[in-house]
Amino acid sequence: MAKLSEDQLQKIWFLSDTVLYPEAVAFIRRLVNDEQCSPLPTSQVKGLENIAESYKYDKLYHFVTHQRDRDWPVSKQSIKTLYTNLEKDFTIMKNRRLKDEFHLVSEGLNTQEARDEINALMAALAHEFIQHMVAENGLLDVAEREKRAREQSNRR
Amino acid sequence: MNREMQIIREINGEAEIFYDDAVNLGQHAAQTLKASHRSQLTGLENIAESAYKTTDILDYIKKQTARFSYWRQGFSRGGHPDEGFGERLKNYLERELPRKRDSISKRLENSDKTYEEKQERRRIYLLLMRQFIHHMVIEYEYSVSQDNRH
Repeated sequence: MAKLSEDQLQKIWFLSDTVLYPEAVAFIRRLVNDEQCSPLPTSQVKGLENIAESYKYDKLYHFVTHQRDRDWPVSKQSIKTLYTNLEKDFTIMKNRRLKDEFHLVSEGLNTQEARDEINALMAALAHEFIQHMVAENGLLDVAEREKRAREQSNRR
Repeated sequence: MNREMQIIREINGEAEIFYDDAVNLGQHAAQTLKASHRSQLTGLENIAESAYKTTDILDYIKKQTARFSYWRQGFSRGGHPDEGFGERLKNYLERELPRKRDSISKRLENSDKTYEEKQERRRIYLLLMRQFIHHMVIEYEYSVSQDNRH
């Protein structure tokens, strides 16, 4: 795997704080608050975090598309919706934003070097996005559980 | 005075101003986390000291808030019965400290235009977070030691 330069890492940390954090928070809030999805369950969170921690974008992308394409029961359609949206965002990031918006891609690399660098950059950016999304997901999950508990206790 | 010294002086000046808020949140932590969950705050302080990103600190607070009910308890003694410790801390760091970062940046004539200026603003924000958490944890330690005496 390509090793990222100090400048690239600094830029990724900068992007994580200024771009990816607000986007990841908005991403999961939109799904839960506007599209009536359930927050991602703990088992999915663990799986996604583990795969992101490996910093291998090919594996992460495979995991996301595999979860998206699974035949989920109706009660778990939220999971499919989340992975469908996540795959779209990551693909846009890889094909367009990485070069045109984030200016992270090095010049003068051969095809293989460029592919390796893009995978390393995407692994790092996706890791940041997932960390932020999962943290916000936890708050939404507990808020929903507490709301349900209050409603149950009011009914008694 | 060089740039770095100017930044440190500005951070210390703002820390004087937010000291009372840090004390109040430290007392909130003492009431809800108590001495038995000290590792939660030492963990937070370690994250703050070692983080390269402000969002690492915010994500940690969110995760602990979601995971442990005592992070979600209000501060009945301090006039915040309905707002949990984690939520209050996150809101303070996300809403109040950026204003202080903006004031410092203005005084340092950082116009937030170039990449370097944006990185400096991010660093000022991180240093403010570290200072705030440091003062809050000191007050937490003091408060739990007082509670244990009584």
